[in-house]
Amino acid sequence: MSKIKYNLIFRSFFICLMAAVFAVMSLCEDSAHAAQLFRVYKKDVSGKIPETSDAIAAGKKLYEIKCYYCHGIKGDGNGSDAPRLDPKPRNFTRDEYKIRSTGQGVLPTDEDLFRIISSGVEGSAMPFWNTLTPEERWQVIYYIKTFNSEFKEKGERSEVSLGGGSASSADSIKRGKKLFKEARCVLCHGEDGRGDGALTTTLKKQWDLPFKARDLTHSWMFKGGNTEEDVYRTVTTGLNETPMGSYADYLTDEDRWHLSHYVKSISHDMQTDVVLKSRLVDGNLPSGPEDDAWGTIEAVELPLAGQIVASPRFWTPSANSVRIKSFYNKENIAFLIEWDDRTNEQAETYSDAVAIQFPTKIPEGLKKPYFAMGDSGNGVELLHWKAFDESILTAQGADDIETETDGGEDLEEEETYDDDAGDDEVATEAEQEEVVVAEAAKEEFKGFFKIKEMNAKGFKRLSVQPDNSQNSLGKGHWKNGKWQVMITRPIFTADKKLDVQFEKGKLIPYALAVWDGSNSEIKGQKAISSWYYLTLEMTTPKTVYVYALVAVFMAVCIQFWVVARIRRFPTEIPSK
Amino acid sequence: MAKKKNSYSMMMVVVSVLIVFAIIKVIAPYVFMILLAKDHTMPTPSTLLLWYMVLAISASLVYVSTSDLKWANFLSFILPAGNDKLKLLFQKMLVISIPLLVGWFVYSGTVPGTASPVELRIQHPTLLQEFEKMENPFANADEATKRRCIEEGKHLYQQNCRPCHGSKADGNGPFANAFRLRPINFTDPGTIATVVEAFAFWRIKEGGPGLPATSTPWDSAMPAWKDVLTDTQIWKIIMGEYATAGVQARQREEMEHE
Repeated sequence: MSKIKYNLIFRSFFICLMAAVFAVMSLCEDSAHAAQLFRVYKKDVSGKIPETSDAIAAGKKLYEIKCYYCHGIKGDGNGSDAPRLDPKPRNFTRDEYKIRSTGQGVLPTDEDLFRIISSGVEGSAMPFWNTLTPEERWQVIYYIKTFNSEFKEKGERSEVSLGGGSASSADSIKRGKKLFKEARCVLCHGEDGRGDGALTTTLKKQWDLPFKARDLTHSWMFKGGNTEEDVYRTVTTGLNETPMGSYADYLTDEDRWHLSHYVKSISHDMQTDVVLKSRLVDGNLPSGPEDDAWGTIEAVELPLAGQIVASPRFWTPSANSVRIKSFYNKENIAFLIEWDDRTNEQAETYSDAVAIQFPTKIPEGLKKPYFAMGDSGNGVELLHWKAFDESILTAQGADDIETETDGGEDLEEEETYDDDAGDDEVATEAEQEEVVVAEAAKEEFKGFFKIKEMNAKGFKRLSVQPDNSQNSLGKGHWKNGKWQVMITRPIFTADKKLDVQFEKGKLIPYALAVWDGSNSEIKGQKAISSWYYLTLEMTTPKTVYVYALVAVFMAVCIQFWVVARIRRFPTEIPSK
Repeated sequence: MAKKKNSYSMMMVVVSVLIVFAIIKVIAPYVFMILLAKDHTMPTPSTLLLWYMVLAISASLVYVSTSDLKWANFLSFILPAGNDKLKLLFQKMLVISIPLLVGWFVYSGTVPGTASPVELRIQHPTLLQEFEKMENPFANADEATKRRCIEEGKHLYQQNCRPCHGSKADGNGPFANAFRLRPINFTDPGTIATVVEAFAFWRIKEGGPGLPATSTPWDSAMPAWKDVLTDTQIWKIIMGEYATAGVQARQREEMEHE
């Protein structure tokens, strides 16, 4: 009798133990990563059909259902949607085909057209047409070719040889780096490859030509693929009707491979994470945006979109992504926000700028304020750094920063709202505290300027905080096509009604907005992100290890007890 | 005490549970990627994984305890291995790995980690009453007018909706990546094909800000288009949108039958 009972206990014990183990195991999910879906250049070609008049007629039908909204009914790239597109749709009547395997100035092969139609073009409106059957794609290609008579007249469009190739190595990259300068790539693509070269900015400024050299650090934006072979192909064939010519005659095959390896080595993939972890430091925070300390932590990169929520909407933002890192110590939290911007031209109306947005109060539940400037129920706080303001202040000298930065009444749309009565009391208390904070901050953040703290409850209800609760500092640094802006704020402020309090261990929603002055971006004309989360990382207390060790010890004890029991009273195997 | 052979049934249970875990965790995302024709893997939700694991473990334990023989065999794995080197090795592995696992769980449970934000599932709103009776003014127009409206609508769609919802209406426009709640893929038969045109009209006109409080996750970036588009334009966009996506709106008659 007791045996049976004993068995029963064992069985249920095992079931419970195993179930519990796996319950914990499966609940331990790693942190959520956001998935980006970038178009990739696919090289395979399939199902080619003969080029007959029937096929062309069928292609025309498809073209006039799917393609002409952008590319225009005459194929001149002037469809009804073209004004809102950047980059502009391809004009099929000219030979401005970019992604080819043919030499410079030569029209692409049919296979090239098939590849680009099947792959789409990242960063543009061109989708990947996997929804068309290969046969349909060929029909459209044959129709597209009728827009340019040269396809018929010139006959053979031979591919350039793209063979060879060597594996990437440190030496090869080094040689490539040298070639990048020698072959004058830097003139357009810039010192660090961010497309900020002197020629690019001149073309834009002097003649308003829409050529923008590719930012070679953003691998997902490479048109026609981002593998070394793809880069090699582009260097070899050039991009027709752009300043990017063919380097086939200028550089040897081998050198072009070195160059490709170098280009590949300076590009990076977008590393997005939903949660940004702010790292705790013992002493001082980094002394500025160029501080080496920033190099020790990983950045989170957020994709950006034009502001399309409120009118006037903005379709052609200049920034495509923004990177952010964060440190905090006992008193302050610091953010380093980096984004690529080809120019550093500031004017009073159009200035480069960045804003980081937090909810005024960390939401208790799951509902956050509206991601774009909050809503009437839930306000947001904005820390707004503007390059023009900083340049003025730098010019005036650091002495009278305080008097100059106060105020900031140059916002037209603002509609100051009285939050509540009782603000005054808070203010007087705050003032005393702030003097202390300001003194300490002066020591730690040399050369920083006060940036604007604002509150918003929707696009129309934007207000600058009163002088005495402005406690954020910022410092920007532009070099070789990249802005690095460090923004810092005390973790806790006296003004709890208007300022978010950065509590440890909580998930604090944040969002970013970037303005590019040279792209005439101002106010609602900006690039924005969704809500992401910031969390102030906590150090692991030693007790955690103790708990784990105790658990291991207990598990060992229980285990050996179980084993001993079983060995002492073995379950009898029935003889039958 | 007739111990004729060494039984490995406990090892079998452990291995099969691990195999189930591997299938759900590693293989299933790829299988569903292929089955659902997605271009990214479909990770199994953790709660689902939990329930499958509980089921798998219970099932295997129920199996080993179905007869006294099986149960005895199951437990006999713990008995001294004697000369069986392999069994001894497995026993050692089991004896070492269980306390380590327990320790790891306790550690990962107590270490102050960063909690993953809870992402709420999309709760589809019910159509507001004031929109329910709305009819597309072009629904009963003649064929030529309809065709013209669809064409105009497609142009308007490309101008206004394309940046997020994509030229093909597949929810993959150039801005789509920036919105964590991705723009809807209209070609998916589970989206606009399941609603009446009046529903689409409401969503376009009022956008994310016009959603009722119950429709989680409150992250919609859909603009309220009433500020720049007229009602007629919105109806045309709807016609163009369905045409671009190649799906049909749900018909009102169907609703009355239900």
